[in-house]
Amino acid sequence: MIFIILLILLAEVCGVAGQILFKKTINGLEAPDMRSHTSYLVFLKNVLRVPAVWIGFCCVGSGVAIWLTALAQADLSLVFPIDSMQYVVTLIAARIFLDEKMDRMKLGGTFLIMVGIALVAMS
Amino acid sequence: MKKSGLTLGIFLLIIMTDIGESVAEILMKKGLIATGISSISMDNIREFIVMNASSYFIWAGVFIYILSFLAWIVILSRIELSVAFPIGSTSYIFVPILSIIFLHESVGVLRWVGILFIVAGIHFVSKSAKSRKKEPEKI
Repeated sequence: MIFIILLILLAEVCGVAGQILFKKTINGLEAPDMRSHTSYLVFLKNVLRVPAVWIGFCCVGSGVAIWLTALAQADLSLVFPIDSMQYVVTLIAARIFLDEKMDRMKLGGTFLIMVGIALVAMS
Repeated sequence: MKKSGLTLGIFLLIIMTDIGESVAEILMKKGLIATGISSISMDNIREFIVMNASSYFIWAGVFIYILSFLAWIVILSRIELSVAFPIGSTSYIFVPILSIIFLHESVGVLRWVGILFIVAGIHFVSKSAKSRKKEPEKI
């Protein structure tokens, strides 16, 4: 039981680490010009050239693999509510590593989403 | 010169990414069902992999996943992760709806209530992103 919970949390940390790496990479690059199609292609090419993005892929991939391992062993009604913790982990990580600002709307809205996901999972 | 923050276009792009991921999941599930293998063991794992690798459903799913990821990269170039990620939960709305239509699964009342909570949450997170006038990101 505890093992499953730790496994899911580990999967979430992997997934969120991937997202942080993506966003960190993108923050360091020039954003594409919305009016130019070619600038999007150049932008995507630049993003895929950064090693951190590929490390991010590996993080997300191993997160999914760990998650599936947990899923195979545990009750779904347990896995999904714990999995909605990823929103909390994401906000904390975005605050720490990306210096993103938090406010009541964002925190409250994210909480509602988590409750909603837990309800969806229980049904 | 450039707008940063949550615009309607970016919001729609997030929703499209989510629909894309939901469709990809449905396609993969269809592909997995089509193999007719319900439990994987050492005896049939080779057959399982071969059948999936030759399934159009699986490949279509993978292709849509890749497109979704590229869209996600564009989204993250415009808005904060702490806004994009919660809004990305719309897949919890689309998967049940697509499951009803294409997999003929039934969805109960509690699930609809949960979906309502998610919609409300997305609304607030979006408002948070709009109410704050952010400095344009460096060009």
